[in-house]
Amino acid sequence: MQVLTVTLNPALDRELIVDDFKINEMRRIRNQKYSKMEPGGKGINVSLILSGLGIPSIAMGFLGGFIGAVVERRLREASDIITSHFCYVDEETRENIAIIDQVNDTITEINSSGPLIDERTLNMLKRRYEITLNRVKSVVISGSVPPGVPEDYYAMLATKAKEAGKTVIGESIGKHFEVALKAGHYTVAKPDLRSSKELLGKKLKELDDYVEAAQEIVKYGNKMAIISYEIEGDIVATQEGVWLMKTKARIEQSHLFGTGDSFVAGITYSLIENKKELLEAAKIGMAAAVTESRFIGKEFFTVEDIHSNMNTFEVKRLR
Amino acid sequence: MKVKDAMINDVSAIFEDESVEDFVVACLRKMRTGLPVVDEKYRVIGFISESDVIKSSLPSYFSLLRSASFIPDTHQFMSKLKEIRNDPASEHMFSPAITVKPEDTTLHAADLLIKKGLKTIPVVDDESRLLGYINRLYLIKVGLEGKINSE
Repeated sequence: MQVLTVTLNPALDRELIVDDFKINEMRRIRNQKYSKMEPGGKGINVSLILSGLGIPSIAMGFLGGFIGAVVERRLREASDIITSHFCYVDEETRENIAIIDQVNDTITEINSSGPLIDERTLNMLKRRYEITLNRVKSVVISGSVPPGVPEDYYAMLATKAKEAGKTVIGESIGKHFEVALKAGHYTVAKPDLRSSKELLGKKLKELDDYVEAAQEIVKYGNKMAIISYEIEGDIVATQEGVWLMKTKARIEQSHLFGTGDSFVAGITYSLIENKKELLEAAKIGMAAAVTESRFIGKEFFTVEDIHSNMNTFEVKRLR
Repeated sequence: MKVKDAMINDVSAIFEDESVEDFVVACLRKMRTGLPVVDEKYRVIGFISESDVIKSSLPSYFSLLRSASFIPDTHQFMSKLKEIRNDPASEHMFSPAITVKPEDTTLHAADLLIKKGLKTIPVVDDESRLLGYINRLYLIKVGLEGKINSE
């Protein structure tokens, strides 16, 4: 096994295609194919993308109830090289519901917050995580945090992985993630700015704000920071400098779905081969994200697909 | 066909020092009836199932009886169950563990399931570390697909 992905708050992604969707009205789904169920949550997505690249992984985290069982089952059906290792709680795993209306070109999303995690299960996961670390080279800790998880839990996970000598990659946002950023144990830290452009107490507006935020993350001791800047760009900071990677072609907003997870999977894949080549890993991550942006939904792509997209963006040194 | 082609890649397990209650809660939540018991290196050292817990909660002479109606009161079962709830799972597990390797044939696994009367067999690597498990229903499914004897 090469990679351990941690998803503290997995989801069952439900996609319903309803033409001419309106509230307060009864609508029928015309075809069962228009009601989809897929395992979701950022760490699980990374496991799925890595599986497409031929990299086996262990997916770990909290699941609960019948919905949790469906997530695990679907994950198993999706890939033979993903090993599941989830700790279960009493409450149900969350569902992220997306209602897609192709007639009016709208997407209505309803996301729940996730089950309450009790102390017994928090400790069970922690112990299993520490032991599983010995079986892998890299750890990816991504996504949101369900209720009941202490604020320093992400930091604890990252610290243990660093102490075990593993590559630690994390994409998230919020208080838990900021505590972990300040602990400074990430090899790669990627704030997820989709819902808010605020990081470490500052609002990010101009390019300089993004550059400074990335440099601040590195200053805490993290080896590399990646912050997406506008739709087509990403700021990359290491101790050696700061770069802006920008795609040559425009990317549609609707094609951004899953690009963050692909970026992380690309970096993870690259760092397994060359642990020290950080900027190279960021480029592979960027190429993986561009590859994913060719599709609207979640799709799997190969290593060849990534390499064929290495020239689709420019890398410019900023500092 | 090999075990690795029919196994379920899940490494859920209970640690040897975790309690019987931890085991019961984990099984209820995961909808499983038994789990491998592992040590600190994640090596499989035994297997604990609901029937092991029932066995431990009944008086020792119970196996000699043909019917549960001989037991004077079920209270005995309840109080024994409460007594063992905090015991380490390893005290009530079946050991040494019966395991298979990914390269073993499914025929060998099926043989073990039938002869030993098991529902689940953990799959382990060369160092006895847990990789997944194989169960009866999946093997039946593989059998229905006519793959058990194939290469």
